[in-house]
Amino acid sequence: MDYVIQQVLNAASIGGEYALLALGLAIVFSVMGLVNFAHGEIITIAGFTMYALFIFASPTSAWWLLPIGIAAAIAAAVTFERVAFRPVRNAPATTGLLTAFGVSIVVKNFFVSVVGATRPRAVPTPDWLGSQIVIGGVHIQTLQLLEAAVTAIALIALLALLRGTNIGLAMRAAAKDFNTVRLMGIRANQVVLAAFVISGLLAGLAAVFIMARRGAVDPFMGFSPVLKAFVAAVLGGFGSLTGAVVGGLALGVAEVLFQIVLPDKIAGYRDAFVFLLVGAVLILRPQGLFGRKYQFGDKEG
Amino acid sequence: MMAALQMRFGLGRQSFVGGFILAALVILIGLIVMAAAEKAQIRVANVFFVNLILVLGLQITMGNSNVANLGHITFTGVGAYVAGILVAPLAIKATGIPNAPFGLNTFELHFIPAAMIGVVIGTVLAFLTGLVLTRQTGIAYSIATLALLVIVHTVFTNWVDLTRGPIAFYGIPFKVNTVSLMLIAAACAIVARLFRDSRWGLQLRASGEDVLAAEASGVSVKRLRLVAWTLSGFVLSLGGVMYAYLVGTISPKSFYFDAVFLTLAMLILGGMRSASGAVVGAVIVTLGTELMRWLEGAPVIFGAKMPQIFGLTGFFLGVVIVLFMALRPDGLVGDEELDEMAKRLWRQRKARAAAGEDTGPETSS
Repeated sequence: MDYVIQQVLNAASIGGEYALLALGLAIVFSVMGLVNFAHGEIITIAGFTMYALFIFASPTSAWWLLPIGIAAAIAAAVTFERVAFRPVRNAPATTGLLTAFGVSIVVKNFFVSVVGATRPRAVPTPDWLGSQIVIGGVHIQTLQLLEAAVTAIALIALLALLRGTNIGLAMRAAAKDFNTVRLMGIRANQVVLAAFVISGLLAGLAAVFIMARRGAVDPFMGFSPVLKAFVAAVLGGFGSLTGAVVGGLALGVAEVLFQIVLPDKIAGYRDAFVFLLVGAVLILRPQGLFGRKYQFGDKEG
Repeated sequence: MMAALQMRFGLGRQSFVGGFILAALVILIGLIVMAAAEKAQIRVANVFFVNLILVLGLQITMGNSNVANLGHITFTGVGAYVAGILVAPLAIKATGIPNAPFGLNTFELHFIPAAMIGVVIGTVLAFLTGLVLTRQTGIAYSIATLALLVIVHTVFTNWVDLTRGPIAFYGIPFKVNTVSLMLIAAACAIVARLFRDSRWGLQLRASGEDVLAAEASGVSVKRLRLVAWTLSGFVLSLGGVMYAYLVGTISPKSFYFDAVFLTLAMLILGGMRSASGAVVGAVIVTLGTELMRWLEGAPVIFGAKMPQIFGLTGFFLGVVIVLFMALRPDGLVGDEELDEMAKRLWRQRKARAAAGEDTGPETSS
């Protein structure tokens, strides 16, 4: 029983992390059609900001690093939008994707060459994040519990925002038809800004958890989780928010399952198996689990 | 024969002339380097030709269909590993991959059949993956190409018995030189140009402008994307074989994001919509990275390794991509091939000259 609960929690926390990232990708994509390949670099920037704070300000408690990391993530997302993505806002999707690819490379290499961070740098996180608690005789890692809980709370808050506020309504409408939203007197920049703030916030939350798990930053840390998030988003149906969450959780479950069933000898192939499984799902349902069934040619440059 | 080609593939005289001009340009670069350059620069040129083959391969699919492809290097890796393992001497295999599957360590092939098998396997893999990939549209397609890259990379890294895993596979005999690389790159330039100008290329480019309109006009976009993807897999795995024969040592890292990024930057900078753009981009990025390397003060080149794109060089390449996407998304060359551009400019000049003669006095009076 202990083992089952542990694995369920494993899947929920990993899946939650992917869901947070996939949601950020989906919300930006649904509003402005941008595939944000630089999403992973938001995590990297949050990590390095925490590192810089730890080195230069040497705060008395590692607590402080968490909100600063999240704030840095939001700032990074908004800066990306302002500097790089706004000039290509009306360009075809491929242009935006390649721009984001370029941004990602710029940020990575900035940290490699300017910070000189070729090896991982240690960053402390509060001790309690690494602790275990015992509920009904079952040992549970605080971090995992927190990850699952925060993901759930973030989802509910996002839902409330999208359903209950004007800007949320505008964002949902923009996913359908941005021009009509603008005709209703909503500023395009505001809607896009909101999308990036949310995606930055979600990435910041994920970044804090990733930092707590890794305990170190390096310039390439953002790539792998965001690649999984992309796959999760495609699995769920790119641009669908429900799809992003379900896709993220499904990917987490698939990963944990493969981790359990694959013999040690081929455990290294886990990611390949996960991706192949996703590929198989997409053969049957090319539009993803929750994707709009669209005609060939929709949403394409 | 020309008329038959025109009928069958929609290829006119200018496509052939333009293709040969482009090929001549590539060969000219090779000849100049061979005549004038030192050993280190010849190595740079060799790597340039391999990269050029890869960029041309990428152009065939991404340039024509106008959908981002981030996994093309997959086939380069497959071609390189297949040919490299087949051709490696028995002694090397005995120490390197003693437990190789399929009895691969019990024989060694001549380098030409090894290359052919490498290219065939790469192409077949491209066709099979293409069957699945072309079911996807737009962004999902791009992400799926990326997933393909990761899957194959995972296999390269984990199939230790076959590839030595993350450790480099060494001891592949050096079988190519500047002349052969330059000729193959030139041939690939012709292939890319002819495909672009062919009926298929034209229809695919139309779908790149507007998928719906193209579909409505009877263009079978999925099938054409599959054709382009497979042809591009052929060129890319050929480039991979060339890489293995040039460098002699391959590792999974050679066929991952650094290579994807470098070739992508070359294509974007030059202009992905023409074969000329691929050539121009490859030349300029190679010159630029060599300049950066010189500025960074790093040793000019170690062996003939694929240039490592790190730090300052990578930073500036990224900036170049972002700036080009914002300011000149069609790249330096844009829509036209170089010969088409030259022809147009020549005609305009003539027209202007003629107009100047005819109407000049009237306007001035």
